[in-house]
Amino acid sequence: MIRLGILSFAHLHAEAYVENLRALPDVELIGIADDNVERGRYFAQQFGVRLFDSYAALLAEKPDGVCVCSENARHLPLVQMAAEAGAHVLCEKPLATTLEDAQAIVRVCDDAGVRLMTAFPMRFGAPALEIKKLVDAGGLGHIYGCNATNQGALPEFHQAANLAFLKRDWFVNKALAGGGAIADHLVHLADLLRWYLRSEVTEVFASANQIMHAGRVQVETGGLAMLTFANGTFASIDCSWSKPAYYPTWGGLKLELVAEKGLATMDAFKQTMSVYSHSVGRPVWSYWGSDANQGMIDEFVAAIREGRSPSITGHDGLRAVEIVVAAYQSIESGQPVKLS
Amino acid sequence: MFKVGIIGSGFMGATHATAWAQTLAQVAGICSLDRASADALAAQTGGRVYDNIDALLAAVDVVDICSPTHLHHEMALRAAAAGKHIICEKPLARTYAQAREMVEACASAGVKLLVAHVVRFFPEYAQAKAIVERGEIGRVAVVRLTRCAYQPRLSANNWFLDPAKSGGLILDLMIHDFDYARWVAGDVVSVYARSVRGRQPDAPEDYSLAILRHADGALSNIEGAWAYPPPMFRTALEIAGDAGLIEHPADSSVPLGIYLKASEAGGTPDVGLPMSPMLEDPYVAEIKHFYAVLTDEAVTPRVTAEDGAAALRIALAASESARTGRHVMIEEVLA
Repeated sequence: MIRLGILSFAHLHAEAYVENLRALPDVELIGIADDNVERGRYFAQQFGVRLFDSYAALLAEKPDGVCVCSENARHLPLVQMAAEAGAHVLCEKPLATTLEDAQAIVRVCDDAGVRLMTAFPMRFGAPALEIKKLVDAGGLGHIYGCNATNQGALPEFHQAANLAFLKRDWFVNKALAGGGAIADHLVHLADLLRWYLRSEVTEVFASANQIMHAGRVQVETGGLAMLTFANGTFASIDCSWSKPAYYPTWGGLKLELVAEKGLATMDAFKQTMSVYSHSVGRPVWSYWGSDANQGMIDEFVAAIREGRSPSITGHDGLRAVEIVVAAYQSIESGQPVKLS
Repeated sequence: MFKVGIIGSGFMGATHATAWAQTLAQVAGICSLDRASADALAAQTGGRVYDNIDALLAAVDVVDICSPTHLHHEMALRAAAAGKHIICEKPLARTYAQAREMVEACASAGVKLLVAHVVRFFPEYAQAKAIVERGEIGRVAVVRLTRCAYQPRLSANNWFLDPAKSGGLILDLMIHDFDYARWVAGDVVSVYARSVRGRQPDAPEDYSLAILRHADGALSNIEGAWAYPPPMFRTALEIAGDAGLIEHPADSSVPLGIYLKASEAGGTPDVGLPMSPMLEDPYVAEIKHFYAVLTDEAVTPRVTAEDGAAALRIALAASESARTGRHVMIEEVLA
């Protein structure tokens, strides 16, 4: 039996992970802890799971691993506590809001001899895996470029219920999130493309604005980035929070690879049906495709059980943070930024 | 009767000729280096074939320049000197200096210079612009435009593939969306672009992505390809504002799907592509509008010579960025 806990419900993915962990027959969710006491109580009751008084109390139970779902800027202290307690770590993305923190997260896990996985669930999406197979089989040949979007609604809207302590407004707080749309939505595609291309990003250009939700939030809400990879492929990523609150779904992730041998397109969350309910009053796209989070949690658990490195590591998380940091440098300077 | 002379008898010359037939104007002359296609077009329109431009100019009220891009400048200057109005295919010219000279020559000669940015006449693009103008999505924040096709194929003399003549993918194809982005989001101040041929000029195909920054802070992502598998051609548009969103993804509004079984002889059907038919072709709408502008002083042109020059300037900035890897300020483009 693999024993796991969840540290913080600041990130909404924590809610999904509860179900994902419970879906596995040989995994025990020993409990959760949250520095937001009201929030911890709420979710402990909702999911019928044990609530620990503190992160230390949960870790004192010697779990095999933990999922760290705190605010981006608060990953490091929780990862450090977990590593020191000998627990393997699945850390939400982005790994950190600064390069120094991301490096420290990798280092404390290495020093403690625990495995660190970065939560990049897109690598486990069924459509994304088909593209990976096609690319690996050489079906596209050299990939010239990629036009990609990972847009969403303003994350303030990602709220489980209309309760003040459940408000996820830290997503639009620069200090806690590391920025706005760029910090939130650049990393999934950056990671997916590193994985597809087996090549590192050598240059980043980014431009951002605060036209949407101006006055409501103090961070960038519109963002376009162009990544250039060592193999010559270039990719533009639209990470804007440009979907209205009443959009039929939370947002989406799409990419288009234009290549020597043709074209491949992916709309990762296209497997939906349109639902028109009087009670909602607007169309809703109800997703029925496979759950990528489940694949990611399965891999984290398998890596712990088999005593091996997970397929996505802290190194992958660190590379993604480097790209985000470079994007903010580019926005600041107006020039493309080289990565070594 | 208002007389039109068409210069060039390739695909665009023929398309314009067909469109002129739906106005009260008469296609009085055709001038082309390719005598066979010029004769065919003359037979269709009833006009005469002229061997040289000056003779054509003497016989018409307006010239419609549908020649390869690098020839626009000289032809337009001759037409302006002859006091003839000009319709010019996009891009307005091959260089910005040429475009400026054309704009100024036409202004001093008192002739109109109308640039055929036909995308402004495509109903979905015109409608999205109208929605933005009505304020329905608020202030524009992020624009996304896609125009992807396979490499142009001409049996002989494929000037599209000679960057000295056409300017390549960025000037020939992406300019449509540079113009449209500027139309909906305002003047562009800088461009960062990547393209396959920007770094490898002898690459067999081209693909490009460009990020535009507009004067009021809006951003545009422009995608262009001459690398799709034939016969694929896709366009898409998305405009996000601070009070709403317009989405028009590729293939989203195709009303027909006609998929015929192969004939018993084993051939493949001629028509296998999705179709989006219109009662009025956008090229016809464009030419009718130009006819109205030329014959009625009260009609304001939907696209001006300055618009054509501005779109070219963005495209040249994108080319420069793709070649050098720099973030290029639009004001740097002087030639």
